[in-house]
Amino acid sequence: MPNWLWMWPGLFLSSVSAEIDFERDVAPVFEARCLFCHNRADAEGDFNLETRAAAFGHPDAIVPGEASQSYLVQMIGGTLPEMPEDGDPLTHDEVSKIRQWIDAGADWPEDRILVDKRPRDLDWWSLKPLAGAPVPQNDVLHPVDAFIHANLRRKQLKPVKEADPRILIRRLSYDLTGLPPTPEQAEGFVDAYDPASSMTTRAAVWEEWVDRYLDAPEFGEKWAQHWLDLARFAETHGYDKDKLRPNAWPYRDYVIRSFNEDKPYARFVQEQVAGDVLYPGQPDGILGLGFLAAGPWDYVGHWEVGEDKLDGRIAKHLDRDEMISAVFNVFQSTTVQCAQCHHHKFDPILMEDYYRLHAVFAAVDRADRIYHGLTNEQRERRKVIVRQLNELSVEQDKILVQLDREVEARISGIERRIAEIKETYGTSEEPQYGYHSQMASIPDTEKWVQVDLGASIEPTQVFLISAYHPRDGNGEGYGFPLRYRVEGSNDPEFRKDVRLIWDATSEDQPNPGSKTVSMDVGEPAIRYVRVTATRLARYDTNYLFALGELQAIDARGRTNYALNKAVTALDSLELEDNWQTSHLVDGIYFRANSEGAPFEELKALEAEMERIQAEIRSPEILARQEEIVAQQKALREQLKPYQSESLVYAANANWVNGSRFMSTNGDPRPIHLLHRGDLRSPGKAMRPGALPLWDGVGETFFESDNWEEGEARAELARYLTRRDNPLIWRSIANRLWQWTFGKPLAGTPNDFGRMGILPSHPELLEYLAARLRDDPQQSIKRMIRLLVTSQTYRRSSRHDEANARIDSGNQYWWRADRRRLTAEEFRDSLLAVSGALNPDERGGPSFYDFVIRKPRHSPHYEYHLHDPDDPKSHRRTIYRFVVRSQPQPMLTTLDCADPSISVPIRDESTSPLQALTQWNHVLVEAMARRFGQRLSEEAPDDLVKRAFLLALGRPPNARERELLGSHSRKYGSASMARVLFNLNDFIYLD
Amino acid sequence: MGGMALGSLFSRDGLLGAPGIVQSLHHKPRAKRVVQLFMAGAASQVDTFDYKPLLQKKDGQPWDPGEEVELFQSRPGATFASPWAFKPYGRSGKMMSDIVAPLGEVVDDLAFLHNVVGKTGVHSQATLLQTTGFNFPGFPSAGSWVSYALGSENDDLPTFVVLPDHRGFASNGAKNWGTAFLPALHQGTIIRPGNEKPIADLRPPESSFITPHSDRAGLHLLNRLNASHAAEREGDNRLTARVRAYELAGAMQLSATDALDLSNEPQYIKDMYGLAPEGPGVDDSVMNVKAETEFFGRKCLVARRLLERGVRFIQIWSGNDNGFPRRNWDSHENLKRDHEPLALGMAHGSAALIKDLKQRGMLDDTIILWTTEFGRMPCSQGSSGRDHNPFAFTNWMCGGGLKPGTYGESDEWGFKPRDRSNYSTVYDIHATILHQLGIDHKQLTVRHNGIDRRLTDVHGRILNAMIG
Repeated sequence: MPNWLWMWPGLFLSSVSAEIDFERDVAPVFEARCLFCHNRADAEGDFNLETRAAAFGHPDAIVPGEASQSYLVQMIGGTLPEMPEDGDPLTHDEVSKIRQWIDAGADWPEDRILVDKRPRDLDWWSLKPLAGAPVPQNDVLHPVDAFIHANLRRKQLKPVKEADPRILIRRLSYDLTGLPPTPEQAEGFVDAYDPASSMTTRAAVWEEWVDRYLDAPEFGEKWAQHWLDLARFAETHGYDKDKLRPNAWPYRDYVIRSFNEDKPYARFVQEQVAGDVLYPGQPDGILGLGFLAAGPWDYVGHWEVGEDKLDGRIAKHLDRDEMISAVFNVFQSTTVQCAQCHHHKFDPILMEDYYRLHAVFAAVDRADRIYHGLTNEQRERRKVIVRQLNELSVEQDKILVQLDREVEARISGIERRIAEIKETYGTSEEPQYGYHSQMASIPDTEKWVQVDLGASIEPTQVFLISAYHPRDGNGEGYGFPLRYRVEGSNDPEFRKDVRLIWDATSEDQPNPGSKTVSMDVGEPAIRYVRVTATRLARYDTNYLFALGELQAIDARGRTNYALNKAVTALDSLELEDNWQTSHLVDGIYFRANSEGAPFEELKALEAEMERIQAEIRSPEILARQEEIVAQQKALREQLKPYQSESLVYAANANWVNGSRFMSTNGDPRPIHLLHRGDLRSPGKAMRPGALPLWDGVGETFFESDNWEEGEARAELARYLTRRDNPLIWRSIANRLWQWTFGKPLAGTPNDFGRMGILPSHPELLEYLAARLRDDPQQSIKRMIRLLVTSQTYRRSSRHDEANARIDSGNQYWWRADRRRLTAEEFRDSLLAVSGALNPDERGGPSFYDFVIRKPRHSPHYEYHLHDPDDPKSHRRTIYRFVVRSQPQPMLTTLDCADPSISVPIRDESTSPLQALTQWNHVLVEAMARRFGQRLSEEAPDDLVKRAFLLALGRPPNARERELLGSHSRKYGSASMARVLFNLNDFIYLD
Repeated sequence: MGGMALGSLFSRDGLLGAPGIVQSLHHKPRAKRVVQLFMAGAASQVDTFDYKPLLQKKDGQPWDPGEEVELFQSRPGATFASPWAFKPYGRSGKMMSDIVAPLGEVVDDLAFLHNVVGKTGVHSQATLLQTTGFNFPGFPSAGSWVSYALGSENDDLPTFVVLPDHRGFASNGAKNWGTAFLPALHQGTIIRPGNEKPIADLRPPESSFITPHSDRAGLHLLNRLNASHAAEREGDNRLTARVRAYELAGAMQLSATDALDLSNEPQYIKDMYGLAPEGPGVDDSVMNVKAETEFFGRKCLVARRLLERGVRFIQIWSGNDNGFPRRNWDSHENLKRDHEPLALGMAHGSAALIKDLKQRGMLDDTIILWTTEFGRMPCSQGSSGRDHNPFAFTNWMCGGGLKPGTYGESDEWGFKPRDRSNYSTVYDIHATILHQLGIDHKQLTVRHNGIDRRLTDVHGRILNAMIG
């Protein structure tokens, strides 16, 4: 029995009852056959069948007691009924019951709302059980070729011959490592892969080179990019302000390492959905969760607005939708997000299914998370380094103590004088500190304190002096707000006549320390001065507002109108002698000695002290000290991988709250089905579950409402990696083909639904998917090896007129597809060929190829200010810091992926803007200059040949040698290099 | 999708001069070009185009619209009368405030909507909604859709140009003119009028080895080698397209330089647009009318020159992100300080653009859309600012066959639409613009990740009254 039938058991009850029952006989038919179009949202033909009121609102659709007068019956009855528009007519029995129901008065309870309940139609290629496919028996041995040949033969296509060895090695090197082969590699391969030798020898040589590239660390650096495109990975939040995610990169390194270590695919998937639950205590279990968090995040909506407001709840909803879409588009090639406002229009996915997934992610947000876990070996190594560091600091102390003694002997007199000055002239440390608010738990809390000047007057200026807190080294500036405003009014409640005197609310302010903050006041007169802190200062884990003194000064700077006047505050922490509201205007405050003759003397004495200290330090001692500092620095660097708090930006249910971004602590937010996807129209409450898209999988994960957040994700991970999940294996097999051959077997890799493109070679896809699933290692590398060892992979990309007449798009693989370098491959090639690339700088924090301006509020990423000769940026492009709002201009023009969305296939556009970029970009200029130098040094006698071997993997022909050589002689080798970097031959792989 | 679309472009050797994906228009077009004026930070409707005498009457009294109000940053303060006087303009007697007075001269050409409703009061989401039709990232800009649909009217300039505020990008940065899943060819090209390098990579960088000679010789050599490379590989028109791309790039160098050179504009035109004698270097250490007029006016004048040369879609931005000091319309603290110079500068430049297009006969087939992410509240925030109002705000359009007038009203406060069951959305505005361009907004679709995507999502009704 199909698994949808439980939905309306009434359907199978005997229909002998003479009495027609709306609930039993009519509603199920409407819900299964009519509501899809005739609902409130679509109301096709202006007819909505959701409620009695709506349906009867149509003038003559249903005429109670008069079935034959009812338009509805005319539409569904007769020999060629007009409705349902798509699909089979209703059965005779169904039509007759609807007639009887109308004739009997069309009873329909007011409160009964019908919903679309189409049966799930699972009859679709991607949802069928994955059975595998037998390899066609023909004269071809390699299974991939056997499938391809079977189709070529059927289509009467004749495959072209194998590509030239030089083309082959360049193709293989780029496809597996993203870099050009070095001249040595190219020569080595061409020598070994001799056309004269036997097929077996050549096959062995090919396999050896395939393995060499698969085992190289560059393999992961190339293939991880495919995955990061899907995972919409970037290192800023996007949206407004576009702040940085300094701890996103460990996920990128995790993906690279997973490819290099050939992690079994199911495990790779599980780690990215619920690694923390399924692999507790293992860093990869947390690192993988970077996948869920990799997409854009609305900082303002989450951090500044918060869940108390509708806009904040909309942000949470969009956030979950983003995670859900990523999981299902990437792992399942399913467009689940289409079921947000209505049931999926084309695939058997209901709104309920979609909102069950919201429940799975109801407790998670995106935030930094500790992933560190050390092995015993690493712990030992750490101990050794720490011990060395300790020894060094003991030695350092010894040197310093000895020095201090000598210094002390000579400066004690000076020190005494310094103390005297301080005592006499300032740095008063009296106990009347000032005003102190009560503590708050979040910084963006408003607190105010105000002074009543006693009468409406016109002070010329207001001075704010920060509080001094002598304990814990807080010192001056204690509690001074990061953001605040100063207002004047004649209304003690500040409800009217409010005059803004000073506005520092839009950006965090530097702490004034002991400096007085002064502001002009003038007319009109005011009686009350109020200071309102809008972002509090942090103290430990709390936030507060403190102020040492407030003065309102007259024009001559003599009279302080505020002195000993009445002070009120929103709240106050009255603490013995130290903190009282009245201390704000008591004339007592901390005065760092900062002006006048005594100050000059103080500075002179301090300078003298420094001079003596410098004198006492001998060059030997200084040298040793420097050595120690250098050793310490090196050791600390070594310690970095073993530090206890390594963070990754990941899915997270438990973090330290900030502003209005509050952790759920694993307590799921209530999730409701949302009518039309609108948070203001919540429907029934939802429990976690996934899509019942194949037999044997249920809808909900838990029977009761008590479930653990982590367990819900773990259930989802188990669901995804089930052996009988027909989608996941087909999805990844299709991608592996695409990433090897350049285009997928099924043309819409993120959508295997009815709106997707059917696979060109269904049997081959079936075979590959089953093969990966049944491989005990679920090895990605083994699959790639299988694909690239085929003859299909090694074919020439040459045109053939006869074949093209039958299959111009090369859908059947009678030749290889010529492809353009990706944006990253282009940049990496510039660096590699010119010799600038630093290949050993793998992993770790990303390099910037921009300069950040205004980092605190909304960072500006200024690419044009970056120096292309900066060696820190001479790393592979996968290690660049990926910005969402301001994508890298050169790479964007070259069609690199937009990290706001999962990108399964990149565009390959050609435009004059691209030509301008490749010809004039500063990086191209810098690398051409460098390449030119390299050529002049390495091969002054045959620049062109060496240039071709490095850049194109082949020697030049006579014409090329002549043309480029003459250009080089006239304009220099760098100018020739610039031409080379723009050749079609450089940018396209045959 | 992209591949197929491009395939058809390349087979015509198109690129910049390419026809769009809409091979024959869905109906007879009334317009060919669009200018989108975007006030970043959210311009106040009740201080500019949407006159509300009730605010004057109730100024300083508690504001009570009779329903719960949830504001973005604050709690509702007192009713806050506009600090500026309103006067009638034009034959229509449309009431507008002093800070948009320069638009009074062309007010009888404008079609106002005072009942535009947004989705949220969050800048990023709301800005994306106005530029892409979706309130989260991942969708093509309206300009990219138009470029994709109609292609280019010229051979040597981009189809879609962005003139950003020179002080920085608005919320979401380049996402507001990105192509998302459309080919990169349709992205907005940034032009910075008055800048030393107005277009990135248009010219070679400072270099120890690039000279005008080596540059020319290098391009010549490149084209020879690329042409023979293409000739040896028949059946792959991408290779010849790339050769052509370099030729067009050269043409673009010339025509872009020409388009941005204002030296031949007569003085009365420069005056009309309000250009400052000292040019883009005009002092704006404190925001002031003169500088804002220069900044916005220069962009408007360059826009006119680009429109004349066949650019399809131009975004002009007023205001940057929420940095400090404030240089945008997000007047939470001090409405007068921010709105006055920005609005006067904007009104001067856009009025000049409308007059200038009209006198050249181009207003008939050019649509100008004035928009912003949302409006501002009728009540005060703090002493002299206004918080966000996504519930009702103003857009106006002009030219392109659109009938002037006022087509949607807000309530007496300027808080929500007067008729709450009948309001306007960005979908309606986009649908109407596409309609005027000869495109049925429901038919312009691209399949992406399994969904036939549209600029208007699943919404949008053409503003029939406005198209006449």
